[in-house]
Amino acid sequence: MNAAGRAALAVLALLAAQAAVGHAVSDSDALFVESIDGPAVAPFVYLGAKHMVTGYDHLLFLVGVIFFLYRLRDVALYVTLFTAGHSITLLAGVLGGWQVNPWVIDAIIGLSIVYKAFENLDGFRRVFGIAPDTRAAVLVFGLFHGLGLATRLQELVHSENGLLVNIVSFNVGVELGQFTALAGVLALLLFWRTRASFARHAFATNVALMAGGFGLAGYQLGGLLLAPA
Amino acid sequence: MTAAAPEGPSSARIVATSAGAAAVAAGVLFAVVLPAEFGFDPLGTGKALGVLGLSRDVTSTLARQEDRFLTDEIRFTLSPFESVEYKYRLEEGDSMVYDWMATGEMLYELHSEPDGAEPGYAESFDRARSDRGAGTYVAPFPGIHGWFFENRGETDATLTLRTAGFYSTAFEFRDGGRFERPVRGRAP
Repeated sequence: MNAAGRAALAVLALLAAQAAVGHAVSDSDALFVESIDGPAVAPFVYLGAKHMVTGYDHLLFLVGVIFFLYRLRDVALYVTLFTAGHSITLLAGVLGGWQVNPWVIDAIIGLSIVYKAFENLDGFRRVFGIAPDTRAAVLVFGLFHGLGLATRLQELVHSENGLLVNIVSFNVGVELGQFTALAGVLALLLFWRTRASFARHAFATNVALMAGGFGLAGYQLGGLLLAPA
Repeated sequence: MTAAAPEGPSSARIVATSAGAAAVAAGVLFAVVLPAEFGFDPLGTGKALGVLGLSRDVTSTLARQEDRFLTDEIRFTLSPFESVEYKYRLEEGDSMVYDWMATGEMLYELHSEPDGAEPGYAESFDRARSDRGAGTYVAPFPGIHGWFFENRGETDATLTLRTAGFYSTAFEFRDGGRFERPVRGRAP
C-alpha cells in the first residue's frame, strides 16, 4: 500500500474510533464519578488508566516519540519527560480550576502528533535546516497533554472533598495505562525493527502518523467551530 | 553521471508527503467526518453517503413534535374477572403520560403490538396487580400501545384512566371486539 492509501486508512480508522467512543469519559462512568463525594482511589485510578489506554491521541504521540528510540534508557528518559509534563498541568489545571477550551487543547494534542511525525521524517533538519531539541518538545507537548487530561477530569469532579487524592489517583492511573499501552507498542516496534520491512516502511508509517495527527487536529477544530455549545 | 543516493528522503519529498498527509486528512474530514459528526457538509458528500443523519441530536431529553398533544380520559366499570384492553396508536419515539386509579385491585399489563407483528403478539413492559399506576411511556416502535385490565376483586370496580400524549387514535378491546374511540385534542 502506498503512503497516501495508508494515511487515508489511518485517518479514517482513527476518526471512526474517535467518533465511536469520543474522547471524553463515557456516560455511565461520568454519572458514577460525578456522584463521588470524597476520596475514591480505585475508581479514579481505573478511569485514568482507561482514559490513557483508550486515548489514542496520547498514545499516537508516544508512538511517534519512541519510534526511533532504540535504547531502553532513551525510552525511559522521553517517557519520563512526557509524564512530568502532563502531570504538572494535570495537577495544576484541576487544582487551579483552569478553564481551558478542550477543543483547542485537543487540537494542539493532534498537532503534537504532526510535529513528532514531521521530526521523525527528519523534516526539521532537511526542510528548515534546524534541529529543535526533541526533549524540550516532548516536555512542552507533555504540558499540553496534561491540560487535556485536566479538562476531562474537571468535567467529572464536582466535589472539593478528597480532590487532591482523586487527582493523584487519576494521575497514577494515567501512568499505569500509559505503561501498559507503551509496553505493547514497544514490543511490537522491537519485533518490527528486526525485520527488513521496518526500514522500508518507516517513512510511510510516519506519514500515516502525521495524517492521523492532522485528522485529529482537524476534527477538534471542526468541533470548536461547528459543535453546538 | 550518477549521483550518490542521498541518505534518507529529500527535502522536496518530505514537503510533498507532509502536504499529502494534510490533504488526505482534510479530504476525509470534509467528505465524511465533519458531515457525520457536526452536520457540516460543504461538499454534499455526507448527504450522498447517508452519514449526515448521524450528527442529529438523538438525546431523549427533548423530542419535538409537529402536532399538539391529545388528552383522553376514560372510565370503565368491570365486574369480577371482567377484562378490557385500551390502547393508543403511537409512532416510534412518541410519548404519553398516564395515570389510572381503580376502586379495586386490577391485574394489569402495559404492552404493545408492533406494526406488522403476528396477530396476538405483544411486547410486555409492566405486568402486576395494583389499584393504581402512573408514568411516562415512550413508544419503542410504531404500533398500538396500552393496557390490559382485569378486575381481580370480588365486587364491581371502576377504573379511571387519564392520558396525554402524541397519539392519534384510541382503541378499546372488549367482549371480543375492537372499537375505535375518538380522542379529544386540546382545542386551540
